[in-house]
Amino acid sequence: MLNLGALGFATPWVLVALIGLPVLWWLLRVTPPAPRRLRFPAIRLLFGLNEDEQTPSHTPWWLILLRMVIVTLVILGLAHPLWNAGDRFTASGPVVLVMDDGWAAARGWNERMRAAEALIARAERANRGVVVMPTAAPSDGAPLTASSLLTPAAARTYVQALQPKPWPVSRAQAKKSFLAARFDDPANITWLADGIKDSANDSSTQDFIRALQRRGPVTAMVDPIDAGAIALVPPQAGEPRLTLKLLRAEKANAARHWVRGLDARGRIVMREGIDFADGATSTEAVINLPTELRNRLARLEVEDVKSAGAVALIDERYRRRPVGIITTAADRAQVQPLLAEVFYLERALGPYAEVRKGTVPELLSRPLAVLVIPDGAGLGDTVRSAIAAWMDKGGTVLRFAGPRLGQNPDALTPVRLRRGDRTLGGAMSWAKPARLAPFEDTSPFSGLTIPKDVTVKRQVLAQPALDLPARTWARLADGSPLVTAASRGRGRILLIHTTANTEWSNLALSGLYVEMLRRVIGLSQGVSGARAGALPPVATLDGFGRLGDPPPSAQPLVEDSAPARATTVGKARTQAQAQAQQTGPQVTARNPPGLYGDESARVALNLAANWKSLTPIGQLPAGVEQLSLAQPGEVDFKPYALAAALILLTLDMWIGLVLRGLAPTFWPTRDGDDLAMGPTTTGATTGATTSISALIAAAITAALALNSLPAQAQQTLSETEQRRAIEATFETRLAYVLTGDARLDTVSRQGLEGLSLTLRTRTSVEPKAPLAVNIERDDITFFPFLYWPITPAQPSLSPRATERLAKYLATGGMILFDTRDQALTTISEPGSEGGSGPGAVKLRELLRGLSIPSLTPVPKGHNLTKSFYLLNEFPGRWTGGTVWVERRSSSANDGVSSVVIGANDFAGAWAIDANGQSAFPVVPGGSRQREIAHRFGVNVVMYALTGNYKSDQVHVPAILERLGQ
Amino acid sequence: MNAPGGAKPSDLALARLQKAEATAATLPPLLVAAERIAATVMQGVHGRRRMGPGDTFWQFRHYQPGDPAQRIDWRQTAKAGNVFIREHEWVAAQSVWLWCDGSASMNYASSRRLPPKEERAKLLTLALASLLMSAGEHVALSGEGRGPGAGRAVLARMAITLSHAGGQQADVPPLEPLPRYAHITLLSDFLGSMDEITDAVGAYAARGLQGHLVQVLDPAEESLPFNGRIRFEGMEEEGNTLINRTETVRGQYHDRLAARREALVTLAHRNGWSFTLHHTNRPAQEALLALYAAMSVAPSGAQNRWA
Repeated sequence: MLNLGALGFATPWVLVALIGLPVLWWLLRVTPPAPRRLRFPAIRLLFGLNEDEQTPSHTPWWLILLRMVIVTLVILGLAHPLWNAGDRFTASGPVVLVMDDGWAAARGWNERMRAAEALIARAERANRGVVVMPTAAPSDGAPLTASSLLTPAAARTYVQALQPKPWPVSRAQAKKSFLAARFDDPANITWLADGIKDSANDSSTQDFIRALQRRGPVTAMVDPIDAGAIALVPPQAGEPRLTLKLLRAEKANAARHWVRGLDARGRIVMREGIDFADGATSTEAVINLPTELRNRLARLEVEDVKSAGAVALIDERYRRRPVGIITTAADRAQVQPLLAEVFYLERALGPYAEVRKGTVPELLSRPLAVLVIPDGAGLGDTVRSAIAAWMDKGGTVLRFAGPRLGQNPDALTPVRLRRGDRTLGGAMSWAKPARLAPFEDTSPFSGLTIPKDVTVKRQVLAQPALDLPARTWARLADGSPLVTAASRGRGRILLIHTTANTEWSNLALSGLYVEMLRRVIGLSQGVSGARAGALPPVATLDGFGRLGDPPPSAQPLVEDSAPARATTVGKARTQAQAQAQQTGPQVTARNPPGLYGDESARVALNLAANWKSLTPIGQLPAGVEQLSLAQPGEVDFKPYALAAALILLTLDMWIGLVLRGLAPTFWPTRDGDDLAMGPTTTGATTGATTSISALIAAAITAALALNSLPAQAQQTLSETEQRRAIEATFETRLAYVLTGDARLDTVSRQGLEGLSLTLRTRTSVEPKAPLAVNIERDDITFFPFLYWPITPAQPSLSPRATERLAKYLATGGMILFDTRDQALTTISEPGSEGGSGPGAVKLRELLRGLSIPSLTPVPKGHNLTKSFYLLNEFPGRWTGGTVWVERRSSSANDGVSSVVIGANDFAGAWAIDANGQSAFPVVPGGSRQREIAHRFGVNVVMYALTGNYKSDQVHVPAILERLGQ
Repeated sequence: MNAPGGAKPSDLALARLQKAEATAATLPPLLVAAERIAATVMQGVHGRRRMGPGDTFWQFRHYQPGDPAQRIDWRQTAKAGNVFIREHEWVAAQSVWLWCDGSASMNYASSRRLPPKEERAKLLTLALASLLMSAGEHVALSGEGRGPGAGRAVLARMAITLSHAGGQQADVPPLEPLPRYAHITLLSDFLGSMDEITDAVGAYAARGLQGHLVQVLDPAEESLPFNGRIRFEGMEEEGNTLINRTETVRGQYHDRLAARREALVTLAHRNGWSFTLHHTNRPAQEALLALYAAMSVAPSGAQNRWA
């Protein structure tokens, strides 16, 4: 070790090599530079020329200087220069590193690690063994012990594996283990202290220091006074406002800390600056947080202080009220998710309540504040009685009316209802949709502003009764009740007399809807219910305050020690409960801070709960050398010197290449210099240079490509899909299903081209070229209409394709199946109803997995017969086959049939070849049959695009008016 | 051949042909000053002062049995009473053989802004051919294996042949049995072995061929503008030589180059040939003009029988 002021060299003998530098200088001077290589045609004239001077040209001085610098840097680097290298160890024994690794050490953990690294590096240079001794109980539940005598390398690994613990250090335990540790006295002891002792009258810390001193000279390294540990005392639950309290040990300068609140997903809900006064050790701030935001709080933490003590977890005591929505199987299938009642409810409730969905038994099995019953939810008798019983115990039921309740009023309503509903407005009614009357002062909704555009088109009506006005919370402008409510036992039931979605009213689209639901939830009693027994750990904090899986050693929180964890939201807490809260369980290695309980109720155990103050260690006894952790550590220049040498070496190589004319020159050649300095662009030289740069470029490209390869693959995949989606959606396009029979697919394409042409010339539908669809692979949701010819050779559908088809049909798609077997049927079974040919058999097999409603031949007056042309028959290439549609029973898709099945080979009749001529003759023939076939095609497409437009009542007045003219 | 941008040889040939014709368009058609017309039967512009195929009137002679009737000149017959036959002067074309050095050493340009010597030599070859053909002379590429011809098709074929050639041809023209008294033009850098050049020129001259030497050089070959320590490498596997300070040998190089040129000039004059020097940094027209002058004038000292 050679020390020159702050600079030291760990291996100074390497510096002897500097003596060799002048020799090197001379050698470099006399060695000529490598020649440029130049291809020259007149070489014969140059052979054997006598040179006047034999002295080789010199290497330029600056190049020699560069090389000298490189060599010097290498020599200096190998001499291992160190800045601020520590002194020698005074004692003869090993180096003992005592590390406080409790929660308080987490804030300055990086400094601690750096100090430990520096100490171990010193020990390594001094060739001493190292003993590492943590002072907090290990997280695996093992007893606290010092490590054995380690080599510096092993000690480094050991120290790097240390993590701060989320519980306090135990100095009494540490003292025992330290005295029991086996190493030779006197040792060089360094104590990285966290600066905190348990309480003011705690003597264990003094004992501990004395024990340290007994075994050798002690150096204590503590945090700078401004960077000591900070604790965040969690606010009292149940109080209307949050009281944030920060504690620190040292009477340091005034400082501002930011406390932020995060919700369960880690989004910032609040951020508040809290100031320590000069010399103060504790500070408080009272925060008035809006209820919605406060309900979302899951965690409070001090910004930039990563420590378990600076984190307060917020548990069910602060949680939002759980609201259950009864869902049906149809809701869960999400056939038309944007129209479902559940969708509107969920969107309205989501921001302010914890929304749960499920069947009644599922919902009632857990604590619930409000149970929402949409109209679609069918309630059996047992379910109704279960809900009634739950209401008696204090539950709030919010029910929505709708067609189902209108038809079958049951007893689970606050008022008796009339059968049927009342329609306000509409084509056949004089009345206009009704607005809402202002809320009365006695109504719980009073004070809410009613948007002008909220109207109700339909509602269920209450039977007139004496107590009806008292039970009415909201009315329409004409005085009929819109919201009624009644008490049931300790609970309450509410009925909104219209639907939860937009079917009967546009209330669900307004902000008023959200506000009304919030009021209802606010009126509910909330959740009550205590968990008995031990609470298992769900997630615990580590020393840095990160929430993670609990360590194996974490034990359940015993209920006895956590009285009154069960909470009641919304009600004032009793004094007794508040008192009990004061003596919560203490954080230990067995009970790390974190969340305990199960999915239904979680209890937070916070490290700093109910702390009053932090006690500093105070004055260290005489003989203990005190250092600050913030001192600049030693800087190792070795890697920097070697890296600089390497960079300069690369530069030197490049310069060498340039001087020999091998490197590509980047500057433009000047006219005068051109012959002398210009690139010697001849054969091999150029080839070599280009190939080298090409190689480098290829390597770089390959490296880049390797990095971006997966992303690239994904990108291209989605790009093809995207392109197809854009192609399919930017223009209206007809589509046909590929059957695998190339000839048939051609007919389909030609047929749809012919139909598209007809549509373009005759109607305002202007479809672009038809697209082929592979039913197993492609997304079909883009097409309003699919033509599907059936051939017996077609493979069966995979389950995924069947599922996709079912979804397509359920969400408004339409398929024209063409069994194309009319000719065969006619021949084999004259007069048959159709549907027995080979195509029909195959069709049945294909559609086995789909729930196609019962079919019927196109009835008289069906939309297919009048959607554009008035038609009586539906011929294709053949004529006479029956065309089948869904029986109009279901209200799905507004009664529009999602399948049309025919047998007449329609595409054959529509098909045109490249010249625009019909590709196939029609049978029995005649231009009339072809014309009708085209008209049928137009009608089908119109039917697919406009649905029940022609049969819509809305247009009856206009049609009547036109008829009158 | 370094075809720029990977163009097809035929495109390149076409481009070069257009450029050559543009270059040649600045000069009138080149009628070779023929000392003695090669004994060819091709129709041309060089009158042979004897009866033969041609357009110019030569003489009338009496009809003799066996003469074809359509050769009778009826006007003369009617004037004189005897039956006369009109005879024309035999006009023949001079055949010019062009040879362009395509060896690897020609593929050299000292700067990106200069064309390679090969490119310039080919351009000159084509321009010369174009000029000669417009004067009715017949032109052939030496080593192509075809007889001399004229016309655009021949010119285009030559252009394509030239663009395919290159790289592997020898330093000196191949010795072909060329007709006596034809012309031959050799375009090369003449930096190869002097003995081979002397032999080749001697062999042609011995057959009575009138010849023209065109030395195409890059300016860098003329001036040796390099400095410092350079390892020079030959372009045709001649080996290499290391020169520590190139600037010191420049004078010697100039001397050697001048000696080589002197040898070439001497060689040309001894055989009654012409010698033209061209540098690629000069316009091609310059060389073409010099060649024009050299070829349209009979070499001094050579007696022209019909002059």
